[in-house]
Amino acid sequence: MAIGGNLLFIVIGVIAVLAIIGYLIWDRGRIKKITALHETALNRRMYELAILKELGDRVGYSLDVHQIIDIITGSLHQFIEYSVVSYMLLAPEKVIFKLHLERSVSRAFIDDLRTRMLGSLSALLDREFKKDQVEEVISGAILVPEVDDPIRSFFNIPLVIGEKVVGVLTISHTKAGLYKEEEMTILYKIVGQASQAVTRLQDVVKTEQEKLNAMVESMADGVVMTDTDYRIVVVNPAAKIMIGAPDKKEISIFDFIDNLGGKFDIRGQLEESVKLRKPHLADRILLNDKFFQIFVFPVLSKTKLREGEVLGGVVIFHDITHEIELEKVRQEFTSMVVHELRSPLDGIKKIAEAILGKEVKRDSSSFEEYLQMIHQNSSNMLNLINDILDLAKLEAGKFEVHPVATDIKEVIEKRVAFYKFLADDKKLKLSAVVDKTLPLEIMVDPEAIKQSLDNFISNALKFTEKGEVTVAAFVHNLDKNITEEIKSLGTNFPTAFPGTLKIKAPVLVIAVADNGVGVSPEGLGQLFSKFKQLSSKAMPMGKRGSGLGLAITKGLIEAHGGEVGAVSTSGVGSVFYFVIPLLLPTKS
Amino acid sequence: MKKILIIDDDRIFAKVLGEALIQEKFTLVEATNGVDGLTVFEKERPDFVVLDMKMPGLDGIGFLKQLREKNENKIPTPILIVSNFSDLTQVSEGVSLGIKGYISKTEKTIESIVEDIKRILETEERLRQKTQLGK
Repeated sequence: MAIGGNLLFIVIGVIAVLAIIGYLIWDRGRIKKITALHETALNRRMYELAILKELGDRVGYSLDVHQIIDIITGSLHQFIEYSVVSYMLLAPEKVIFKLHLERSVSRAFIDDLRTRMLGSLSALLDREFKKDQVEEVISGAILVPEVDDPIRSFFNIPLVIGEKVVGVLTISHTKAGLYKEEEMTILYKIVGQASQAVTRLQDVVKTEQEKLNAMVESMADGVVMTDTDYRIVVVNPAAKIMIGAPDKKEISIFDFIDNLGGKFDIRGQLEESVKLRKPHLADRILLNDKFFQIFVFPVLSKTKLREGEVLGGVVIFHDITHEIELEKVRQEFTSMVVHELRSPLDGIKKIAEAILGKEVKRDSSSFEEYLQMIHQNSSNMLNLINDILDLAKLEAGKFEVHPVATDIKEVIEKRVAFYKFLADDKKLKLSAVVDKTLPLEIMVDPEAIKQSLDNFISNALKFTEKGEVTVAAFVHNLDKNITEEIKSLGTNFPTAFPGTLKIKAPVLVIAVADNGVGVSPEGLGQLFSKFKQLSSKAMPMGKRGSGLGLAITKGLIEAHGGEVGAVSTSGVGSVFYFVIPLLLPTKS
Repeated sequence: MKKILIIDDDRIFAKVLGEALIQEKFTLVEATNGVDGLTVFEKERPDFVVLDMKMPGLDGIGFLKQLREKNENKIPTPILIVSNFSDLTQVSEGVSLGIKGYISKTEKTIESIVEDIKRILETEERLRQKTQLGK
């Protein structure tokens, strides 16, 4: 009994040990299996991450979908088995069909693949594609006609960028039953993330590009950017207008070379700037009546991967016509001051020296003449200084007018009488024509009217050698024709008066008409601006002035709420006029 | 008696300088611009010219150019530019055209301008005598 009991005990013990061992063995297998699964998942995850990182690095500077798909297809083999990996991408006017053969396949395999992929693409885009639109590029293993295995496994992934299908990515195999859901999920994920990254980057680039384009487009300066082969990358409307090709679509560097007419060596200067990697301030050039200051810059890459690499060059044409004009006006003003102030003052000084040096006897006729010269010079200088001071007021917007009830007829007649002497001296007829219906009193600043009339009359006399100068005054009513109103005065202007005025209210019109040299159309626009005294070949000698009078008149009349203007026919005559809103004194 | 031509549109300067020159026993002829200056020059053949730069019509430089053209590309008479415009490019242009001097109107008294004229005329005279002796 004891032996039997012992034996039983031993048997049970052995079984138990075996069971434990068996369990342990089984368990180890299970753990191994689990570990292996984990490992695969981990590997895939690692692969996924590696691909995404690689993509991230590369798309950092490339947004070329082509290149990104190449990266993906180039590394897929590490993880999925296939005979051929291929993609189709939409390009303008064609479909790019790129295949990489891991194993040799037959022509029939590829033709079938093409038909299937084109079918998917058509379905995705709801669009028909013709066979001859497909551009095929094959790499990897060679085509072997004898391998007549057909496509047995096939998987398509649409390539979507910015919510738009741009192509399909396909893996295919001669073996059947491949490509399970698990593998496909990861492939989807990779392609999806890559698309997202590209979409995001393209958005950013697009926004930035739009911003930049809008900026460059709206720039008043002409901007031209070229790559290192002098192909034009960016050219804005200002630059196109500058070379006289505002509507030309395709602009090349030769358009610039031709139109710059040797005034600026655009190619040479770009080359120099790119070579020295330094911005460069080039010359000023005159092109079609405009002055340009030219700047040349090299374009250096700022991205980490290609830091400092020269991408091309930029030429900026800065329009400095206005600055040059101002410079000229300043010079003219200085020259005017020299002539109108320094010379007469120096004359006075030299006379004083002559008298003090007893070269001139006090009772001689010369002495009398000298005194007259001093008087004339000092009056002229004083007038000029007053003009300059008035102008300063004009600039500060401080022209003050004090309208009072004024007899316009009387003011005009007095001024005409004042200038009678000068007109007689030149044998010119000077007269006044005043509308009989003109109100007896009108609210204006009599001093301002007097000064304005003086400017107009003295100018008219100065620039007229033969004929007459007429001062006309009348009221223009809105419902009447201004030409008829002038006619009814009983006078004729040498040149047509403007039919309409800016002020839409009854106005007092005062005009000074002459048969003088006239003003050219381009001259008319500058008449009332500061420091512009028009040079006229017909201008009599020694008759220069500060040229400020008309600018001051403009200031005075505008302070009345009125407007000034001039019409002229060269060689026939001019009419200078001002109009003031008609304001009558209130009866007390 | 030496004859001096003053070409200047500045009446006061011409008058004051003219009177001073008359007192120094010079004969005087005048013009107020380059065109008149050329006519008077041809007619009077002065011994000396006082020339202004900025004048209406033909200016000083224009006068010099035309005078050279009419006289076998030479300035036949000593010329002194007396002007208010002391622009350096004009000075050098004047010198290249053969003037004897360029002085600023306001910086000089009439007396000193007269002295300059006399000095230039004396130097010219000595030079002429030398070349004549040399022959």
